[in-house]
Amino acid sequence: MSVKYIPVQWNPNKWIYDAVMLAGVAAFLWVFLYVTPGALSHERPINPQIHNARAFGACAFVMLTVILCIGPAARLDKRFLPLLYNRRHFGVMTAFVAMTHAGYILNWYFAFSSSDKYVGLLYANSSFGQIAGFPFEVFGIFALVCLLILAATSHDFWLKFLTPPIWKRLHYLIYAAYFSVAAHVSLGILQDQQNHVFTVLFLVGAGAVIVLHLAAWMQERSEAAGKDGAWAEVARVGDFRDGYAKIAKLANGDRVAVYLMEGKLSAISNACAHQNGPLGEGKIIDCLVTCPWHGFQYDVRSGRSPAPFTEKVPTYRVRVMGDMVEVHPDANPPGTYVEPVPLPVPEPDLHEEGVTA
Amino acid sequence: MSDKPFFVGYLPAPGPLRTFLLTACVLLIAGLAGAGFLMGAAQDDPGPGAFRFDYGRQTVTGVVEMTPYPVIHVTEGNDRIKPGDSFMMTAGGKSGVDSRAMPLDGQLAQVSGIVLERGDLYMMQLRGGRNGLQAAEGDAPEITPEPQGRWKLAGEICDGKCLAGAMRPGRGLAHKACANLCLLGDVPPIFVSTQPVLGEEFLLVIGPDDTRLPREAYDHVAQFITAEGEITKHGDLLIWEIDVDTIEVTE
Repeated sequence: MSVKYIPVQWNPNKWIYDAVMLAGVAAFLWVFLYVTPGALSHERPINPQIHNARAFGACAFVMLTVILCIGPAARLDKRFLPLLYNRRHFGVMTAFVAMTHAGYILNWYFAFSSSDKYVGLLYANSSFGQIAGFPFEVFGIFALVCLLILAATSHDFWLKFLTPPIWKRLHYLIYAAYFSVAAHVSLGILQDQQNHVFTVLFLVGAGAVIVLHLAAWMQERSEAAGKDGAWAEVARVGDFRDGYAKIAKLANGDRVAVYLMEGKLSAISNACAHQNGPLGEGKIIDCLVTCPWHGFQYDVRSGRSPAPFTEKVPTYRVRVMGDMVEVHPDANPPGTYVEPVPLPVPEPDLHEEGVTA
Repeated sequence: MSDKPFFVGYLPAPGPLRTFLLTACVLLIAGLAGAGFLMGAAQDDPGPGAFRFDYGRQTVTGVVEMTPYPVIHVTEGNDRIKPGDSFMMTAGGKSGVDSRAMPLDGQLAQVSGIVLERGDLYMMQLRGGRNGLQAAEGDAPEITPEPQGRWKLAGEICDGKCLAGAMRPGRGLAHKACANLCLLGDVPPIFVSTQPVLGEEFLLVIGPDDTRLPREAYDHVAQFITAEGEITKHGDLLIWEIDVDTIEVTE
């Protein structure tokens, strides 16, 4: 949460996060660059520039794979949520690693010519009409441009400036970048490999991204409570626990988080004003709904962040019909106070009492 | 809903979550290191080609022939390069030496430079200006091409310099753009045959009637192809006039 812009709001967890990610990247590059040459029994070594380019290119692919696995992993198992916390920094690191890869390629394969290296990059291979020999470099260029856009707009300034929905949509470019990288690799280095270990690793990485996304999507689909009608059903009275929410999916696709706090129900938008984080997957801390992604907090009755913070999210009306809690699909303007609805005390299950007596 | 530990970024991680996160961090770092090793160790052998700086600068005399790519047929060699050897010439970077060699076509010249060697493939990167290529005194013997008939070959068109060792690896589809750039810069193209042809694996490949490699063939650089064409022997170098209409891409 912020009341003013500062470059990076560091805290111990962010330091640890960045240190771990940097250690992982450094380990990958160090092993690739300095350990594997000893393991290769080549008569003559691969050119250092090509070896370096491959190391940084492979590292960027693995980093992108990890980045794209974190999201669905956190949706499937909440314990992975901390890995989302500072993922933006990991993304920026990826852009730098990819740029280093591009630098080595540009200054080796496209240098030493009478043509400008940037011009050479674009015209040297123009066989666009074929698969084998397709100028796969264009996919790498596109992916790099995407990564640079994502890195440049990763700061909260752009989040605020573009608004979270637009910012989030813009950052879906990460998927375009990943598909482009996959095409870059598939039409490039994979065409030449005699040793298929890299091919297997590439398929495992890309497969993990696809499988995790499908699994998370299927789980959310099975949990979706979206139904037509003026009021949407959320959950049964007995399903609520104090301090936690149930999430309802409305017919228009929006999600609502219905929280139980001190015996009363309140509903707010499930999308955090910061980065559209899932507020319904958070919990109430100090009487405030706390986003699981970055800890932004809101009063569950009004959708307002506590002073001096200014973030607001829409609220919704709640009612209890019999044993069912329902939410009205029309959102109130962000920050609108809604009187909490007392949750009826569920009637005791006599049969169960009889058994346990 | 359960009382699972809840992580808030600006607060210390809950105790039960710490072990999980610590394990995840260790596995992440170890996994990245392991991926780095597996990917790095899976790289293919780039082949034996290399700049032979260990040979030192080589200076020999011979007859220049524009085939149309510049070739020198050695008449006066040294300890390493013998009279009767024929090899291609190139300049530094992705450039040929056509402009320097054309005025000396059919004449005796002295060449000086660094050798690139890959098995039977021999190429010399000449020094700059007249230090690399200059007219020599004496009568130049006539080089008579020896027709070897029409052949159908299978293999790959490469740029001769990267293939010979300027880059390792210097062939394959991932190297195609670089190869095209070299060929556009007048570096001699080489056909790498899958089977020895008249005892040779590498042939200088040109267009019909002693023209340069046709642009239509550039789309097939680095691809595994079959094609037909006349082979002639110039000195001890085989030259293949590829018929681009017969090019077929094979698996």
